[in-house]
Amino acid sequence: MALKRLRFITLALALSLGASLLTGCASQKSESLVIYSGRSESFISPFLNQFTALTGAKLDVRYGDSAALAAQLLEEGTNSPADLFISQDAGALGAISEAGLFAQLDQQVLDRVEDKYRSSRSDWVGITGRARVFAYSPERVKNLPNSIDQLTLPIYRSKIGIAPTNSSFQAFITALIQSRGEAAAANWLEKLKANDVKLYEKNSQIVAAIDAGEIDLGLVNHYYLWEVSKALGREIAVANGFFAPGDTGNMINVAGAGILKTATNSQVSLDLLTYLLNDEVQREFVKATYEYSLVLTDAYPVGLPPLREIPSPRVDLSLLANLSKTQALLIKVGLI
Amino acid sequence: MSQEGWARRQSRPSIALLVASTIALLAASLPLFYLFRRAIDAEISEISLILFRSKTLEILATTLGLTAAVTALSTLIGLALAWTLFNIDLPFRSALQALVILPVAIPSYVFTYSWISLIPGFKGLWAALFVLVLATTPYITLTTLAALRRSDWSTYEVAQTLGLNGLQIFVRVTWPQIKNSVAAGSLLSALYVLSDFGAISLLGVDTLTRAIENIYRGSFDRSSASILALILVAISALVIRLEERSRQRLHIIKSSNRIIKRAKTNDKLKVKLIALFGIGSYLALGLAIPLFQLLSIFLANSTSINYSLLFKASISTLIAACLGALIALTLALPVGVLSAQGSRLGRVSDKAILIVHALPGIVMGLALVSFGSSIPWLYQSLLLLSFAYALLFMAKAVGSVRSSVDRVPKNLIEISATLGLPKSATFRRVVIPLATPGLLSGTLLVLLAAMKELPATLMLKPIGFETLATQMWSYSSIFRFNEAAPYALLLVLIAAIPTFLINRPDEGDGIGGDQI
Amino acid sequence: MSSLEIRDLTVELGDRIILKNLDLSISSGSFAAILGPSGCGKTTLLRSIAGLITPRGGAIRFGKQLVSVSSLVLPPHKRNIGYVPQEGGLFPHLSVEENVSFSLGKKTSKKERDELVEELLDLVGMPNYQKRLPQELSGGQQTRIALARALAMKPAMILLDEPFAALDQTLRAEISQEVVTLLKSSKTTSIMVTHDREDALVSADIIALMRDGQVVQSGSPSEVYLKPISAAAAESTGDILTLPANKIEGNQYLSPLNSPVEQIGQRAGYESGQILVRPEEIALNLEPGERRVSAKISKINYYGHDALVELNFAGLAQVVRARVTDTKGLEVGSNIFVSHKGPIRWVPEKATDQ
Repeated sequence: MALKRLRFITLALALSLGASLLTGCASQKSESLVIYSGRSESFISPFLNQFTALTGAKLDVRYGDSAALAAQLLEEGTNSPADLFISQDAGALGAISEAGLFAQLDQQVLDRVEDKYRSSRSDWVGITGRARVFAYSPERVKNLPNSIDQLTLPIYRSKIGIAPTNSSFQAFITALIQSRGEAAAANWLEKLKANDVKLYEKNSQIVAAIDAGEIDLGLVNHYYLWEVSKALGREIAVANGFFAPGDTGNMINVAGAGILKTATNSQVSLDLLTYLLNDEVQREFVKATYEYSLVLTDAYPVGLPPLREIPSPRVDLSLLANLSKTQALLIKVGLI
Repeated sequence: MSQEGWARRQSRPSIALLVASTIALLAASLPLFYLFRRAIDAEISEISLILFRSKTLEILATTLGLTAAVTALSTLIGLALAWTLFNIDLPFRSALQALVILPVAIPSYVFTYSWISLIPGFKGLWAALFVLVLATTPYITLTTLAALRRSDWSTYEVAQTLGLNGLQIFVRVTWPQIKNSVAAGSLLSALYVLSDFGAISLLGVDTLTRAIENIYRGSFDRSSASILALILVAISALVIRLEERSRQRLHIIKSSNRIIKRAKTNDKLKVKLIALFGIGSYLALGLAIPLFQLLSIFLANSTSINYSLLFKASISTLIAACLGALIALTLALPVGVLSAQGSRLGRVSDKAILIVHALPGIVMGLALVSFGSSIPWLYQSLLLLSFAYALLFMAKAVGSVRSSVDRVPKNLIEISATLGLPKSATFRRVVIPLATPGLLSGTLLVLLAAMKELPATLMLKPIGFETLATQMWSYSSIFRFNEAAPYALLLVLIAAIPTFLINRPDEGDGIGGDQI
Repeated sequence: MSSLEIRDLTVELGDRIILKNLDLSISSGSFAAILGPSGCGKTTLLRSIAGLITPRGGAIRFGKQLVSVSSLVLPPHKRNIGYVPQEGGLFPHLSVEENVSFSLGKKTSKKERDELVEELLDLVGMPNYQKRLPQELSGGQQTRIALARALAMKPAMILLDEPFAALDQTLRAEISQEVVTLLKSSKTTSIMVTHDREDALVSADIIALMRDGQVVQSGSPSEVYLKPISAAAAESTGDILTLPANKIEGNQYLSPLNSPVEQIGQRAGYESGQILVRPEEIALNLEPGERRVSAKISKINYYGHDALVELNFAGLAQVVRARVTDTKGLEVGSNIFVSHKGPIRWVPEKATDQ
């Protein structure tokens, strides 16, 4: 009886082995692009399908977490099968750029976006923008803070949430160190901690916690409002707010893409990048994700100010590739 | 006189076994080799920065403390569940025996997520302890139940006649007979905690595995991450050593082929009620509440399910996991056999396989990316993905291979030889069939774990090849938990099949139903 | 069918020497019993013959074929030996039929296989048991199937390790008779290891007595019973009385039973010796007479078919047991006149196993 079962499994093995060899060979076609995408399938695949419909180029997409995909690309090095890397945030792009794995981009493509939203090495370009905001409960917070320094005041004691392990928070702290110096950043973090700040794992948990009344205010990216509302399937009692002009709390991070040196089809890759930065597609992005277009001045999420009106500080996005100094600081303060 | 066919020593293991075991050892060393290579890249200053910062100490303490606490508690609960289910005549006992194993089929991230969504603010060390204890208890319940079914019932009867009470019988008669199996289950539980990322990250507990993940995420610094991973390897080696020390060669020989059937016990209603309450609590916390929560997430905001996608993902999951389980069995079999024969190569390979089991999926994924990306035909093929599953989880098979091969009576092997069968034929016709129940359940454990695997799957799967776990991830990463829920439920349902197969109570007597 | 010749066999297990310079020869087609107390090394001997143990030294020969010399051994699967271990050792995962046909290669057709199985099951008295599983069989049935399994390979030799130890007394006599008759009629050289002297005496053509890793005596059952070479050897095959021999003068000895021991000339060179007497060789007489010694009955153990009478002699500390079939006229406490009716056996006191 047991032996028969074993035989059946052996048969299954033989069959699936044959199948696996087929799959292994299938990805070696020349007319296709291999894309590593840190952006989710449901968001990006409609655009990619449209590109395929337009150009006939077959796109093979490996979806994953941006940071994990970056680590994978670093590990693959020159053996990478990937042509294009689309990332959720600038840090992962910076890491690939720093390792010298990205190819130089065409100036025309780079010029689609402002230079602060692209690589200083000209090898990756931002596609959409995401603003750091404070999410808050309009019901409970009447006096909005105009600087991150006010968050350490006693009125906000035990009422603020942050996600210190999240890379978007760490990017913000990196910018803070850059603008004020390490000692001042550490001082601010310590005061925040002393104000009994609540720690969360994810931005979405902070927004949900504000909605649930656990806290009143939290430091998040602007689009989590919509995501949480959509996930819960209802309106939530949370709003986005900006600090005073130039405050680091308003920094803009980007999601972007770069073409790898290993690309077998860099022309199609470039075509795809151009396509993603096209006006029409950018408009669609804003609708689908509530993120900011980096190309169009008039495409921005409903209810928020346009990108250029956000009083954001100037931040060198290439610094986000290495957050170890920031992590060390957060560890020292005891937040992670 | 011809010397052909003569042997000088008979106990020498066959060449085929040695070669196969060497291959398994090399396979298991692959990630270790990768870690050393990456760690060497690190600057000395960087190493000392990582090793000697106070946070590392804290992480180590958390890791060790959590591992110890989870293992201790899950061992206690698992032991209690198994003992109760074996000894007390409860209604629906067979069904209960299978149900208490079922939480093993729920991925820890799903499990944790369902609790978080149920209790706002559910996080931290205590929450992690709670979730991990519930999730790892089945490993101990499973191994203990199997050992109890195997133990010699007549010794309990003798002990009763010698005037021992229930507790004394357990301590002096039962425990020595099941100790090794319990320890094997505890080891799996400990290694599970060491390598878990799903629950730990959602609950915000800083263990080594999460620290490794954070380094990759924050600074893409693979050499620092490798150093931490090597510390994890050292801890798992320590845990394995502990388990090995507690293991003793057992000489349980059933007095004959005739099995002494246990008499039907006649327990008091009160005892039964207490037992049912205990088992019911575990099932409620470990199974019913998470599943109910999943279901209600799905129903609260139900969308139309894409059935063809769901079906395709199920088939893909099964194919990849089955292939992985078979590779694991192929690699674990020679190692387990050699290890049972006391060969040094077997024991070293055995340990290497166990050590690798504590590595987080992302480390294993990157190791195979590093090694596989230079072989285009293999890279990101189903074969490599299955191989990753095998490497990650064959530790779950090697223990049961070792012990079930070990349990094949030596005299039957000798008789087969005297009946004219060479070693290879004896192995095929006597050892394998007798060890099959154990081999099968070990393989099914690998299958279960492979079905739930996520980080290595994302890196190594062929493009377009979606498993239930990757689909679930792809929805939940954009907060569409309601759309992820059907995948989670189906994963649990499919995983329930091997879970029931592993723990067939009806075939549990005699040599059947062996585990670990 | 082949003879067995063992020379100078030495086996070590761990640090212990189990067999020490053991010699044994068994002629082709005979049924041999290796008889000895537990721990004397008899199972080790059997396993060495089967090739399951690598000896440290010595040679084993099947007929003309050398199968083991020094530590060079022919592996068991090439020896063509049928091994029936204690309790049968049936494969629990195989049916009776599959167990019996286990040794048959792929060359044997299904039909031939079925016929052979049927024939062998008939032979061991278990027809129609083909589909049964070992767990469903009694101990004796398991042994018989194990025998059928061994016979299926048409072995040059059959080795049986305590085949009847697990059986209860009544079953034992019956089954052992059946098995022995069967093996003898098949003319297969058979070697049975046993610690039961009745098993050995009843069934074997030749008995090898083992003590402490050596064969101390071998020969036909009557030979080893009637002419033991030492007290120990005598004890292996039955109850024995060892009495001191009183030296009178020269080569003349006198037993305590007052019968002169004459045939001791050949044993010259030994200062002292023992006289070995079987209890049934002592005659009890109610009347005194020539060469009758007076003794007092201290106890009577009555067994039905016979009785053991314990006697005290004046000047002899030892209790002497006599086996009698008739207890008429015997009473505890009364005096009786004892004579010796059997052959006189004298063994040197320090007789070692030359």
